[in-house]
Amino acid sequence: MSATTTPTPVEVFESGDAALRVVASSPDSEANWSTVHSLAEWLEAAGADGVHGAVPTYDSLLVEFDPGVTSARQVRAFVLLGLRQLDFIGAPARAPREFSVPVVYGGEYGPDLERVAEHEQLSVEEIIALHTAKSYVIRCLGAPAGSPMMDGPDFPLPVPRLKDPRLSVPAGAVAVAGRQAVIAPAVAPGGWCVIGQTPLTVLDATSEPLVPYVPGDRLRFHRIRPEEFAGYVGRKLDAAR
Amino acid sequence: MSGSLIIQQPGNSVVTDLGRFRGPRFGLPVNGALDQFSARAANILAGNDDGAPLLEITALDFRMRATTDILIAVTGAPLHLTVGGHECQQWEPVSVRAGETVAVRQITGGLRAYLAVHGSVEAPVLLGSCAPDTVVGFGLRLAEGTELKTSRSVPPIRQPYFDLPLFRLGLTRPEFSSHSVVEVTDGPDVDEFGDTAGLLYTTEYTVSARSNHIGLRLGGDLPERQSSAEVLSRGVPVGAIEVPSREELLVLHRGRGVTAGYPVLAVVTSRSLDVLAQARPGHTITFRRTTVPDATAKYRAALRELENLRSTVSTVFALLGIGSQPGWRQLAPAAGS
Repeated sequence: MSATTTPTPVEVFESGDAALRVVASSPDSEANWSTVHSLAEWLEAAGADGVHGAVPTYDSLLVEFDPGVTSARQVRAFVLLGLRQLDFIGAPARAPREFSVPVVYGGEYGPDLERVAEHEQLSVEEIIALHTAKSYVIRCLGAPAGSPMMDGPDFPLPVPRLKDPRLSVPAGAVAVAGRQAVIAPAVAPGGWCVIGQTPLTVLDATSEPLVPYVPGDRLRFHRIRPEEFAGYVGRKLDAAR
Repeated sequence: MSGSLIIQQPGNSVVTDLGRFRGPRFGLPVNGALDQFSARAANILAGNDDGAPLLEITALDFRMRATTDILIAVTGAPLHLTVGGHECQQWEPVSVRAGETVAVRQITGGLRAYLAVHGSVEAPVLLGSCAPDTVVGFGLRLAEGTELKTSRSVPPIRQPYFDLPLFRLGLTRPEFSSHSVVEVTDGPDVDEFGDTAGLLYTTEYTVSARSNHIGLRLGGDLPERQSSAEVLSRGVPVGAIEVPSREELLVLHRGRGVTAGYPVLAVVTSRSLDVLAQARPGHTITFRRTTVPDATAKYRAALRELENLRSTVSTVFALLGIGSQPGWRQLAPAAGS
């Protein structure tokens, strides 16, 4: 096999004595995302001594290592080798799974729904319609606790973060900020606008992996009524297909 | 022979280890002992593997009782250690007889102490580590009456000659002071701070009381970001120094959220993260700029010192007949054995 696409340009930055930041810097954000996630998979599979792991996000990858075993110089060479391999073998192909997420919107479940509607100059119903209109690619697992970070719904305007972040946002909170969307797997402080809540259990700290999705999988929200919420409680988020 | 440790006064204590190194790829912080050197040293002095579960005791007084004869070692911040009412030395193996109480009091100068038990203690494991994770609600936080299972008993070893130290192990103990110098390397986003980045090296910062295992907040003159462009969330290393507000500098430690959207001004070296782990609210800090190769060399020098300690401890323990093999081999039986 040979490479089918032009290699994405990549820069490697020092990030202390135990990490490197790798940034894909092409104008094509999809290519950047694909490059850092493919590189993360390659690094995991190659399993170099002293490399703890890689955290890919949108256009960036943090590679963490043990400076007692290896060094920033060696890991940089290893990363560049991985990039050459990717150019040669191409990105690993994996069929994305889709997850279906029931959500109660507004009220006590989504205290910021009206604020978001007002900011977007749309009705609450239009906000819900836009949020449930498409399926979202999970771009990366973020803080806290493996949150599925997604490109946001097709709202007219970016959603501003709360001026005073909440000290505690419940598990299952469905939130938006800027041009991003997320579900909170665990109770944590948060400054994103919460527009709804899913009754499903996203995080299971007793099993590995802790969350059922991986970057590249898709997620679709559908609306349920408040009285249906209790019926879903205790069920785990599972792939529909 | 197995036994238990019964916690009588938990203070603020947990069972932890060196961290959940597989966590970040799943969105979980590494966590684990904040002062890694002291934690490794405690385990080595107790004849354990560096990464064995041990107790991290933060700031407050702590007491426990052993139900069998055990061997322990206490390291970290200066404190007052007694076993069965008798004063004992930190940074040395210490015998505890069945029924005796181990008391850790007056943690001063630093913030965190480490107590390792020969043969270690049992703790639940997530992704290969027992380190508590406050966000996912995992881990063993000690409470009054908590019973910790130990796997090995060690008959009492008492110095036959009065008042002479039993062990002379030649470890250079870390220094503890209310003013610390913390070494950092340039962060990947240092250019975003323009000329103001230099303030980091000319300012004396004060540790705020709002500091914890997630990060330390430091007050003082703040470098200022010169642009306001939105930053996409990305992985940030432990030790990252950010300026999220106009009030404080934020230095991320081992409990940090794995991803964030703030520019990274500088990154604290692995060695200096241990220094920060011991900084108390009100302590002052100045930063010194270094390079990655220099930081790596210092980190490796500390590891060599710990290796020397391990070889001394193995020799002494063999002479005293403690553990026919290092204790950790019993914790992880080889496949097929």
